[in-house]
Amino acid sequence: MAKPGDALLFRVVRRDHRPWLLMLNAAVATTGGLLIPAALADAVDMALGGKFVLFTMLWLLGMAATEIIGDAIGIVLAASITSRATAWLRNRLSRHLLALGHPSPFAAGDAVSRVTGDCGNAGGVVVTLISLAIAAVTSVGSVVALALLDWRLAVVFVVSVPLAMFLVRTHMQLTADDVLAYQEVSGEVSARLVDAVTGKRTIAAAGIADREAGRVLQPLPKLAEAGAGMWRTQAKMMWRAGLLLPAVEVVVLVTAGFGVMAGRLSPGDVLAALGYAALGMSIVGQVPQLTALERTRASATRIAEVLDTPLPERAETATFGSGSVELRDVSVDGALHGVHLTIPAGTFAAVVGRSGAGKSTLAAVLGGLSPVDSGEVRRDGEVGYAFERPALLGATVGRSIGYGTDADEVEVRDAAVAAQVHDVLIRLPQGYETPIADAPLSGGEAQRIGLARAIVRDPQVLVLDDATASLDTVTEAKVDKALTTALPGRTRVVVTHRAATAARADLVVWLENGRVRGTGTHQELWDDEDYRSVFTGGE
Amino acid sequence: MMRFYLSTLAGHRRGVLVLLAWSALEGVPAFFGGRLVGTAVDRGFAAGDPLAGVLWLLAFAALAIAGALGQRQVFARLGHVVEPMRDALVTRIVQGVLKDPTHRRTPDASAVAMITRHVEVVRDATAGVLVQARALLVTTLAALIGLATTAAALIWLVVLPIVAALVLFGLLLPSLARRQRDAVMADERTAEATGTVLTGLRDVAACRAADEAYSDIATQVGQQARATVTVAWANALRATVIALGGFAPIVLLVAFAPPLVASGQLTTGAVLAAVVYLSNNVNPALHGLARTTSTVVMRLMVALKRLQEAAPQQTDEPGAEVPSNGEFVLTDVTFGWSPDAEPVVRGLSLDLRPGDHLAVVGPSGIGKSTMASLLTGLMPPDQGRVLFGGSPVDLVTPTIRHHAIALIPQETYLFTGTVRENLTLLAPWATDEDLTEAVHKVGAKPLLDRLGGLDAALGHAGEGVSAGEAQLLALARVYVTSAGVVILDEATSHLDPAAEARVERAFAQRDGILVVIAHRLSSALRANRVLVMDGGKPLLGTHEHLLKTSALYGQLMLAWDPTHHEETPLPNR
Repeated sequence: MAKPGDALLFRVVRRDHRPWLLMLNAAVATTGGLLIPAALADAVDMALGGKFVLFTMLWLLGMAATEIIGDAIGIVLAASITSRATAWLRNRLSRHLLALGHPSPFAAGDAVSRVTGDCGNAGGVVVTLISLAIAAVTSVGSVVALALLDWRLAVVFVVSVPLAMFLVRTHMQLTADDVLAYQEVSGEVSARLVDAVTGKRTIAAAGIADREAGRVLQPLPKLAEAGAGMWRTQAKMMWRAGLLLPAVEVVVLVTAGFGVMAGRLSPGDVLAALGYAALGMSIVGQVPQLTALERTRASATRIAEVLDTPLPERAETATFGSGSVELRDVSVDGALHGVHLTIPAGTFAAVVGRSGAGKSTLAAVLGGLSPVDSGEVRRDGEVGYAFERPALLGATVGRSIGYGTDADEVEVRDAAVAAQVHDVLIRLPQGYETPIADAPLSGGEAQRIGLARAIVRDPQVLVLDDATASLDTVTEAKVDKALTTALPGRTRVVVTHRAATAARADLVVWLENGRVRGTGTHQELWDDEDYRSVFTGGE
Repeated sequence: MMRFYLSTLAGHRRGVLVLLAWSALEGVPAFFGGRLVGTAVDRGFAAGDPLAGVLWLLAFAALAIAGALGQRQVFARLGHVVEPMRDALVTRIVQGVLKDPTHRRTPDASAVAMITRHVEVVRDATAGVLVQARALLVTTLAALIGLATTAAALIWLVVLPIVAALVLFGLLLPSLARRQRDAVMADERTAEATGTVLTGLRDVAACRAADEAYSDIATQVGQQARATVTVAWANALRATVIALGGFAPIVLLVAFAPPLVASGQLTTGAVLAAVVYLSNNVNPALHGLARTTSTVVMRLMVALKRLQEAAPQQTDEPGAEVPSNGEFVLTDVTFGWSPDAEPVVRGLSLDLRPGDHLAVVGPSGIGKSTMASLLTGLMPPDQGRVLFGGSPVDLVTPTIRHHAIALIPQETYLFTGTVRENLTLLAPWATDEDLTEAVHKVGAKPLLDRLGGLDAALGHAGEGVSAGEAQLLALARVYVTSAGVVILDEATSHLDPAAEARVERAFAQRDGILVVIAHRLSSALRANRVLVMDGGKPLLGTHEHLLKTSALYGQLMLAWDPTHHEETPLPNR
């Protein structure tokens, strides 16, 4: 059954020459390993003969050295191949996800797990395949070696292998159920902890940390039970596997014993038979590798699913324009219906409406952030965005403002001053160089950094999607004033819930259920009771 | 955390001892195995007595069964040690996270996912160490004793290389550990970089920064790949040392045996037995140890360190003072986040009596929430005093304080369970009538009906309930308590102005003290006193008084809404 990911895995294998090197190395090391039991048998026979033979010892040492050095090289080669393949997949996948843009057809958490988890799995394909090949060659080689010693040994051994495979398979099925149960309960505990952490202030103020910890930990006994189940299954498996090798060994040893009696085998050959029986069993231990191969294929399919998603068509933005925006019969499935709108250059426009009216979608299509399903958006100039909850990107706070531009320190600083956030940033532990992860920023501070990020790009059109919602009205007014100073004459589109903001706008766009209910100034629209209820909540 | 981990394991000493007892059984084949195989050949097959040979091998099989039985018991018992250890660890971490008083460092969903992952690492690694290290100990000891009893003359040839390899391995360990840790960190940084970019795709698109975002990810991906290879080099060295340590004894044994065999000091059986001991028992155990120590133990240490950071151990002395009444007296209170930082609250004096309704207003980020933390006793002031009923509020007996003072923060705590369980969180004694009344008072009746009544179930993360609706439930939850002091810390931020007004009126009509840390300035109009926080000395007074005396207050009001006469309900008290 070919899977969509198989072609991708094939490309991973074919990417460079290293897999061939690993295979060559494995061939040499495996050969050395296969010759060791025979060499050891000769050496033991030599010892039992009471005479030191240099060649026998050198042969044994040579084979051992081949295996040991080969293994060491193999470890480094395998890691190099896997990490290169993983990196290649991760880079391709993230580039494609970035190209797919916003809104992404893949949820963020899902996309992250594809980049981190699935690429790691799929990157191991070469090593998994070669391990399987080595195990198969080792097992076949061992059977051949047994046959060369005494054909009876090979027959006895081969009969025991299917039994081994059968026993191990039942184990795999049992564990899958236990693992699933365990993961479910573990996920439940995590979800409860996330809830409690969200309400940490409530819990601290009410002094109920112990009680709530108990609530989070409530499913714990179930977890322990599922865990114990896993160990019991494991124990059963170990019991069977633990019996398996000695059983095969005893059968092989008895056969070899009769061989010694009949003079077909030397005492040293008994050890060789024992050694080959153990080597021959190595295929049994490969069941996890088979599972790994299946997991690799499943992961590759999940990666291919992203890579095969076609990129959306996006119109190029005209630059150095005047800053006017025009929407003609624009519809976005489920959010906007036939919107006609013209925002002249230099206008301060406010977009208002109840939640779910389509304000954010309108803001997104205005600047080409997300594509439209039908209709046309014409804009004359670069668009800058600021959001209610900006995701701050880049390594440091300073970089998060200049993100995606080549703005220098001075420009970043000026933008921060204009966004009224400079005073906050210089008080951070390392100022503008503070890593984002270490910066204790409130929602309002993050909003203002997001604003600075929009200002630094000096766009012709500035879209603020509720970007000042966490600011109190004084700070908001200051930011507003600073924006006018920093970016004079720019077109500004502001999504807002505040009447005061709408009152300052030149033009108010009132949305209702994805349609434009009205346009005009705040004063003109204020006479409409429905309009007023947008701000007062309808009571 | 390491100490906690070890003491938890020590607490399950019985389980560990039982485990070791079964290990002894598991070691039986290693002790007798080589000798039995040797004897079977020596006295059986080679001596022309097949029956004896087969019988000796059957004895070998019987011992193998006993050993497998021991191993089965070891694994079955592993759960008795590992699972309770995991339970203890999870309990300790959950309590640590929830009791951590530093509100600025709150773990989010991804941090919780990390905690879960690390706990699993500790669980698996503990099991791995118990299985491998124990197996090595038991097997090697058993095999070496077995060897000493069969080929005593050659024991040093065997022991010395093994000891040398172990010592060398021990010396390599620190650098291996360092590389391993670097690789784990590189792994985490890759996940972090990817997570930041992919959860911020909208912002990447808005910044047209796909190239920079890609290079941020690619840098981490590249570093991670290099770190993996670096670890592999160290691992290759380790594998070589161990392989040499495991194989050298066999070679030495065979090389030095001929004269001893010739002189009759060693029998065929003894030589066979020695080689079986070394190749079948000691060598695999050594490899197992190397695998465990280098990967599992390192992961264990890293995970424990991370868990320590996530959930620091708290020690707090609860106070035991009993307040004499329900009044607050604040005298010259000053508070700052650090001695160097500008104080958030400076020289604040304030009396609050039952019936008082105070609104706290001021620019964002100025530290209005600090007031809530000072009044609830979560943090003591740097200077001055916050007295509740005559006692410093942070020293009041916790149970009394928690019942008397209720805080509703902006971020709501809802948990999975019924609506009733959520509403009775702070007042387990409340009847359904009490709850229904509270729900009605705060204006959450339509919400309760929509959810399907008190028995309706809520999911995780307030699933199916909007942020505003969640706040309504949190408000009803406090309304139903007997708390004499209620502090709303932007607790109505997701409600529309009309719903907010209804909530504040409902709480104002309740007996006791109401403090509203205002999200909108309309809250100030409803209060009988207003506290203005603007970084300097706090201003306190009525709305009318402040309008006349404070320029800042006037500015705040003006900026809030130039047309407020038309749309704002005037103060109703």
